[in-house]
Amino acid sequence: MTAYILRRLLQGGVVLLLISAVTFLLINLAPGGPTSAVSLGRTAEEREAVLKQYGLDRPILVRYLDWLGGVSRGDLGKSYNQGLPVASLLAQRMGNTLLLALSALALTAVLGVGLGVLSALYKNRWPDHLISSLATVGMSVPAFWLGIVAIIVFAVQFKWLPSSGIFTVGQEFSLADRLRHLAMPAGVLAFTLMPNVIRITRSALLEVLTSDYVRTARAKGVSEQVVLLKHTLKNAMVPVIAILGLITTVLFSGSVVVESVFGWAGLGRLAIEAANGRDYPVILGVTLLVGAIVVVVNLLVDVLYAAVDPRINHG
Amino acid sequence: MKGIRWKFGIGAVLLVGMLSLGGGMAQDYDPNANLNLATNADPTLNPWTPGAVVESNLINTIVFDQLVRYSPKDLSPAPGLATSWKVAPDGLSWVFNLRKGVTWHDGKPFTAEDVAFTFNDVVLNKKLGAQNAGNFSKLKSVEVVNPSTVRFVLNAPFSSLPYYLAYYAGILPRHILSSSENPLQVANFNKKNPIGTGAFRVAEFVPGSYVRLVRYEKYWGGSPKINSIVFKIVPDPNTQMAQAISGELDFVGVSNPALLAGVERNPKLQVLRQSQNLYYFVALNQNDPRFRDVRVRQALLYAIDRKAMIDSVVRGYGTIATGPIAPLQKAFYVKDVAQYPYSPEKAKQLLAQAGWTPGPDGVLQKDGKPFEIDMPTGQFGYLVPATLLVQQYWKAIGVKANVNVMEWNAYIQKMFVNRQYEATLAWWSTPPTPDVTPYYASSAADKGNNIPNYKNPDLDKLLEEGLRATGVQEQVLTYRRIQRLLAEQLPYLYLWYPDILSVRNERVGGMADINTAAAFQYSSDWFIKR
Repeated sequence: MTAYILRRLLQGGVVLLLISAVTFLLINLAPGGPTSAVSLGRTAEEREAVLKQYGLDRPILVRYLDWLGGVSRGDLGKSYNQGLPVASLLAQRMGNTLLLALSALALTAVLGVGLGVLSALYKNRWPDHLISSLATVGMSVPAFWLGIVAIIVFAVQFKWLPSSGIFTVGQEFSLADRLRHLAMPAGVLAFTLMPNVIRITRSALLEVLTSDYVRTARAKGVSEQVVLLKHTLKNAMVPVIAILGLITTVLFSGSVVVESVFGWAGLGRLAIEAANGRDYPVILGVTLLVGAIVVVVNLLVDVLYAAVDPRINHG
Repeated sequence: MKGIRWKFGIGAVLLVGMLSLGGGMAQDYDPNANLNLATNADPTLNPWTPGAVVESNLINTIVFDQLVRYSPKDLSPAPGLATSWKVAPDGLSWVFNLRKGVTWHDGKPFTAEDVAFTFNDVVLNKKLGAQNAGNFSKLKSVEVVNPSTVRFVLNAPFSSLPYYLAYYAGILPRHILSSSENPLQVANFNKKNPIGTGAFRVAEFVPGSYVRLVRYEKYWGGSPKINSIVFKIVPDPNTQMAQAISGELDFVGVSNPALLAGVERNPKLQVLRQSQNLYYFVALNQNDPRFRDVRVRQALLYAIDRKAMIDSVVRGYGTIATGPIAPLQKAFYVKDVAQYPYSPEKAKQLLAQAGWTPGPDGVLQKDGKPFEIDMPTGQFGYLVPATLLVQQYWKAIGVKANVNVMEWNAYIQKMFVNRQYEATLAWWSTPPTPDVTPYYASSAADKGNNIPNYKNPDLDKLLEEGLRATGVQEQVLTYRRIQRLLAEQLPYLYLWYPDILSVRNERVGGMADINTAAAFQYSSDWFIKR
């Protein structure tokens, strides 16, 4: 197992190197330039001075090797438009994204699996119909729209929840305040991500429930509760873990839309601002970080498979 | 002894009573109040740093004083850190008398050295590429005459200098920044702890969340009436509006008039309809010989129903533009210039005179070539819908515009940096000065802000005349001639002056109504009603 993990990590390193090369090439091929240099009203003289400061007058290969050298020393460079080290920007934003992602993931997993199980147990009866309509709504409603509606209902009409931000000014350390700020963005994310989990849990569970060993267990007189908790749920979990793994990578790379609507200072918003403003070092930093997250989460998912299903052996 | 004590007691009671009464009368505002504002991204707290633009401008206006402010009455230049100024008879130098007793937020005194540093070492240091440095291209240097007097020495006359000194031209502290190699890239200053002389100082900057300002007690204009201002970072304009409605924000700028639906009826919110020197236009690239014929330019403007465009694109919040000087410059704006009321017939006539005749497919042609125009546009504000309308209007007279919608940054590169376009719709926002040299002079064509690359020696001469003028009367006459010439020649096709919309909570008082830029220069006057 250890050898397997090491091998996968090594492969991951190569993948990241390739990602960085392709990203570097692509962002330099894209038209436009850093907004601090390329914006309406900037004269040619001002523009050239700023591009020179960033070293953008040098050939692309030189710049890539220079950047790569920096990365090998742990230096991700400095943001063009913000003037701050990329590493510190990533650290700030990653923490916020993790907080939102883990909350949304927990909500998605608990609600998604719970509702999925319920819907399998009440197959083709009204709870099943209700849950699948809910899932259809969650699947088809765009997150930004749901976010704005949630703001109008919960913040503007009822004034129960704050409409944006991570905490109230001056209440940095209040847990209740943080939770109030988390409620809407995490809720919206969970509502839109949950449908997949519900569907997959439902179909996986239904498949297992009709298998021979479950019939045998029931024939032995094992109670329905034990059948569900001990015999079926664990076996139905493999596809659910796969989908949760996918959702995790999506969440950890930051949800651009939800972070913008709720003014949540996370990775997704950083990425979109960097892309719009052609902040090359930040784009590279975010891409590399998200790439690393995907590599690690995929590895974790594969390891979890083995833990859940002994037939899967990575030896 | 007893009597004295008794009298003393009465006196104390009276005194307390008077104090509380006086307090109640003088303060119908809450001195501990906090004002909530919004910005759309992390600001950069140095007005000259490259890339410090919309997200930073309002905060920087509060934190950094400028030599000159706009008068809240008519936007003419009014005292800021400079109390008075005088131009030399030859127009080549200006003397500014500085306010005495001004201190930086760290308590150090503000002097003429700071002004000299800001301009000589920052703005005029070409290597730094300071934001808006181009506005001071006529400035040679700033000389310190004595600790409270500076002299601006110019290369050429520049009658608009005071206006530009009030336009995002904050003064920087020499004692903090002079030791750094690049005073515009000091992260600790720009992103954490800037030092200005303004009415509020930065107390806390939480990246991605908010910037909190607190009143500067030793502000030269007296201690401000609000305790603190929080600029929340709220990227989404819909969310900003929702927060204005829920009372979480006290003042919000409205970029899209569609967002005002539902706000117009809210009794707690005041919708401000203000103006700024801002105009939308269609630029026709003059490097393309087809557009050098003035009849073609006039025809393409006659073909556009600007009234209908204003009604649909900005929900009626705008007025038809006649030139680069907006009506808010009351002293300079002239209305009786050439007008181009919507008339497709007149457009077709003019084009026919210019040799464009209908081809078999209805598209006009000349010398066998169809009238096709490459028209890139960027995804920003309402540029795309406005461009598509112009495309329809031109189609009606047989001119085919090929619209190419691009991502904003790529569009700027193509249209503005490389000038690879034949027609394009954009806008200019300028300080409220009649001088339009940076956008119209031949010297600004191809690489400066003269987007259509328009070159006209007669206009250049008039622009120089305007810059040389030392008296207001002389200026007025020159700029009237300039406006008439521009309206006739149409270097840009003028579309409309949009209303600058914002929403303000009625609890906020003391904010100048003329426009946002001026209101933020007088933040020490703001108060929150009890």
